[in-house]
Parts: sequence; structure tokens; C-alpha cells
Amino acid sequence: MNVLIVEDERALTTEMELFLQSNNYLCETCYNGATASEKIATNLYDFILIDLGLPDYEGLDLLKEAKKHNPEATCIILTARAAVDDRIKGLDLGADDYLSKPFSLLELQSRMQAITRRKFGLKNAIVALGNFNIDLTNRSISFKDIPINGITKKEFDLVAYMLLHKNRTLTRSQLSEHIWGSLVNDDYDSNYIDAHIKNIRKKLNVFDTPDWLETVRGLGYRININS
Amino acid sequence: MVIVVLFVLLLPVLIRDINRKYTDNWLHRQKDKVLQTVRSQGIEKYIQNGEGFGSYNALLKEEYVSMDVDSVDRSLDTIVNERRLVEGDTIQYRILSHNFRIGKKNYLLEIGKSIDTINETTAPLQNIAFEILLGMVLLTILADQFYSTYVLRPLGRIIRTKLIGQKFPSRTPYRKVVTSTTDFAYLDISIYKMMQTIENTFQKEREFISNASHELMTPISIMQSKIENMFGREDINDEVKERLLEFQRILNRLKSITKTLLLISQIENEQFLKEDHVQVGDLLQEVYDEISIRLQEKNINCEINVPADWELEQVNKFLLFNLVFNLVNNAIKYNKENGSIWIVGAKVDKHYILSITDTGIGIDAEQLPHIFNRFKKFSKSLQQDSFGLGLPIVRSIADFHRIQIEVESEAGLGSTFRLIFPDEALKKEK
Repeated sequence: MNVLIVEDERALTTEMELFLQSNNYLCETCYNGATASEKIATNLYDFILIDLGLPDYEGLDLLKEAKKHNPEATCIILTARAAVDDRIKGLDLGADDYLSKPFSLLELQSRMQAITRRKFGLKNAIVALGNFNIDLTNRSISFKDIPINGITKKEFDLVAYMLLHKNRTLTRSQLSEHIWGSLVNDDYDSNYIDAHIKNIRKKLNVFDTPDWLETVRGLGYRININS
Repeated sequence: MVIVVLFVLLLPVLIRDINRKYTDNWLHRQKDKVLQTVRSQGIEKYIQNGEGFGSYNALLKEEYVSMDVDSVDRSLDTIVNERRLVEGDTIQYRILSHNFRIGKKNYLLEIGKSIDTINETTAPLQNIAFEILLGMVLLTILADQFYSTYVLRPLGRIIRTKLIGQKFPSRTPYRKVVTSTTDFAYLDISIYKMMQTIENTFQKEREFISNASHELMTPISIMQSKIENMFGREDINDEVKERLLEFQRILNRLKSITKTLLLISQIENEQFLKEDHVQVGDLLQEVYDEISIRLQEKNINCEINVPADWELEQVNKFLLFNLVFNLVNNAIKYNKENGSIWIVGAKVDKHYILSITDTGIGIDAEQLPHIFNRFKKFSKSLQQDSFGLGLPIVRSIADFHRIQIEVESEAGLGSTFRLIFPDEALKKEK
């Protein structure tokens, strides 16, 4: 998958590139709108990540160009700008998603995958974890053929997120940012992730031990898949 | 007004004065007539054989004329009020006395008019004057009314449309107030210019917030990405990662504070739309789902009792969700193990009130007025992991929706937060 990162903040560009490369994406970067405009007109990309706060270019114009020259590409807007209507404008102009800074790289990847799945209509996205099957499209978990009831939305979100970032330790902060990220709230540290994991384990243990769900001492949690 | 009162008070005096002058003139004219007759026809017409002449209206004795040889040698020409005895009646007259000489004799002419007759004309005159005055006062009032409703109408319109109810940021373009008066047009344009200055200041503040947030969010974003990438590396051992975790938590705190402050500023700058319909029951259920894990952790019983038909119009769902979430979250955070929370919707005196009551630690009376202040933390606060922006968000969102908040609390027993919804927000029951 080819990704074009348009972001004038070099340090951030580097980190995004590093992260996406480690997840097997091919990345190109540019730090200003003029170069980006050229690249968009000449190359084809699967993903175009556009920062709205470019010094030389109106980010939304770049989005229009991308829609024209790269109609197949998935466009994700990255912005630190506060204006709420930017989001609306961006989505109106055909952006596929919108991430406001500061965002987690894990969240970026999760959004990219979600859009891919939506675009290509991947059905039967069922992943086997031990004796359990995780159905990402219908958002359900089953043991062999028996559906497991009582898994809450939040619990499924957690499992799916860890599954997406399989074999990687996710900290409690990262997990809570994913499931409570849009909430504006007074607590910066309160962590109910442990309680959620405990509940998930309890519900799955009725059928089998979910040994693929590992608690990494002092750090967080991870789902292990040996492929 | 003072002038009118003064005028009314002085009216009798004035009228009397005018009347007296008129009478005096009349007396002088009569005198001239008599003297002329004397001059042309001789004194003998009136006085024969030294006998005095006297004449008066027979019945009412309103007027009288007398002429006689004056025994005293003097030269009178006066008008005074005096009594005269006429045929047994003593009557008060206004009398003109005049001496004139013919031959060697000095004559005295007296012409009198009874005071009663004079007063008889005074009273109607006074009445007429009073009526005219009353008419004029009424006319002035009508003219004033006309002036203020018609001529001053643009002023009222300027005040109504340009000053009262002016909101920032103003979303309506400038519209000139229709007036032919230069002064009003000038006032209108002056107010417009003043409002523009204020508007510009708001605009600058909005830009500042936007820029400041950009400048803060970008470095936070870079740090967050760096930490995440380091976490992903296999060559970094767990001991280092544990320290990175500390780093990540501190960064998260910085991020939350910045985001929250930004949100409050955005709300206060009216950057949110109010276009959602919200079923109160559904909203509470969503909050409940979101928060159930926290209830479970402390084994708190939460009861929701809100009429099913409560529906809010023209609100922002995202913001309302955060408002309720923060209140319920506080109700959990400051609650005791095995405590309770009641969320109740009720109509009290035509007002729709949603109250959230907990069995928590409560708030001291002296702290109560300050709980909505930013970064206000209380020593009694059990939790260390809050930064004192929860209730300020609640207040901002409530103000934005014109929801009133009332707090009642007793230390050690619990608190009740009441949200009083404005009438226009609630969709009326069918």
C-alpha cells in the first residue's frame, strides 16, 4: 500500500513514516503543499494523509486536487486546528476520515484499516484466536460455533483494537484513548481498562481459557497470534 | 410641567388683572364721552341751579354716573374701589373720579361700575382660559406621543436590533436602520463600528485559541508518536518501557488539559452548532453504558427515572453527553463504595428539571460557590487524578444551552446537581 504523508512538521512526519513502514506500508513524504500537489498529480496512492495547517497551501485545496487526480485514494485529514467546521468542510469535500492532533499512531492505523475494509467490502473478516472466532464485520465473538452473548460494545472494541495491533503491547493509556478518546473529561489517569479486561476474561473463561490475551506486567496488554 | 402648574396657579390673578385694566379703560372712555358732551353742550345739560346730576341703572345699580360742583379745590383723576350708598344699598364700586373746571367752578365727575359685575365677567373668562390651557396640554401630550412613536422610531429600532440581544459572534450582516434623520444614521453607524471592534476582538481571540492550540498540539503529537514508536521496538527492554509509560501518562495529562481548555474556549466562542434532537432517556442510557464499568467497580447502584417523552430540541448532542457524563462521573468518583445515584426528571412549577443525586462525600458550604472555577481543586477531594476542569466544562456547556444549574450539598451526605432546562429547549408533549 502506497501512502503519501503531507505534513510540514518534519519530526512528526518521520515518526509516522517509521510507524507505517514497520506495518508494511510504502511511504512517501513531503513537507509542503507545492511538492504534494505535484506528487498527487503524477503518482497514484492508496492513502493520502493531509495536514491542514500547511504553510504554503490551503490543505482543503490539496484535498480537492487529490480527489481529482487520485480518486481511488483514501484521504485522511490531520489537523491541529481548533475550528469545528473544518471537520465538516473536510468531510464534505470527500475526506474519508478526520484525525485531530495529537492522535495516536495506533489510532491512525486502525482508521486506515477500517476504511480499507469498508472500501473493499471485506466480508467474513473472521479471525481465529485459539478456539474463539472474532467476527469483525458483525462485531461478535463465538466459541467454535457457539455465539457468546453479553460482550459489550466497549469490550468488543478493546479486543478488536488489540487484534488489529496483534503481537504488540498496548498500554492502558493507548487503550483508553481508543475507547474513550472523544470524551472530554476531568480524569487523565483513571483507568477502567483493567476492569474491562477482567470482564472479558470472565465471559470467555466460561468456554475456554483465552490464553492469547496476555497481561504484560507493568506495561499493558496484548493479543498474541503466532502466524 | 412646572410652567403649566405655575400658569394654572397664576391664572385667576392674571384674569383679574386683565379684567381690571379693561374696566379702567372702559371708565376712561365713559369719562371722555361725558367730558365731550359737557364741552359741546355745556355743563347745563347736567347741572342746573347748582343741583348735582346722578344717574344709575335703576334695578341692579351696576353702573352709575354723578356730577357735582366740588366743594374742595383739587384736581383728582383716580380710579379706586370704594363703597357708595345708592338708594339705601351699599355697593362696592370701582370708581373713576375726575375733576374738571368750567368757568370758575370746579366739578367732580364720578363714574362707577359695581365690582360684582366685574367679577361676573371674570369667572367665565377664567373658565375659558382654563379650558384652552387644558386643550393645549392635551395637544402637547399627543404631539409628544407622535414624536416618540413616529419620529423617534428609528432610535428604538437601533436600540432593539443593534444593542439589546446582540450576541457574539454576530452571524447577521449589518443592516442599515431606515431613517431620514442624520443623527440617527450617525448613531447607527457608530454603534455598528463599535460592535465591529468588539467582534474583531472576539475574532482575534478565536484565532489566538486556534493558533495556540495548533502550536501546543503539534509538539504533543510529535512526543506521543515518538513514545509509541519506541514502545513498538523490540530492542528496548521492559524496564525502559516502564519508564516510558510514566512519560506517556504525563503526556496524556498535558493532552487532556489542553483539549479540555480548548473545548471550553470553543464552547464560549459559540463554535458549536445546536441542531440536534435528543431523547433524554436515550442520552442517559448512553451515558450509563459508557460509565457502567465505573459503577461496577465501586458497586454503586444507579437509578434512572426520566419520562419517556422528554425530548430536547436545538441542542448539541456531543456537548450534552459530555455534560451529563461529567456530572454522573463525579457522582461516582466522589461516592462511597456501595453508594447510590439517582437520576430523576421531573416537572416542577412548569420547569423541566433533571436532578442527579449521589450519596457521596458532599461539598462543604464554603467551597460550594467555587466549584465551577477552573483548576479549583479541593483538599478534601479524594481523587488525585483530576485537574479541576470537570465542572467548568459542565458550566460552559450548560450556559451554551441556557440550562441553569443548581447545586445542593451536605458534607458527608451527598450532593444534588439540578439542571433546569429552558422552555424552548424542551419539545412540548403532544
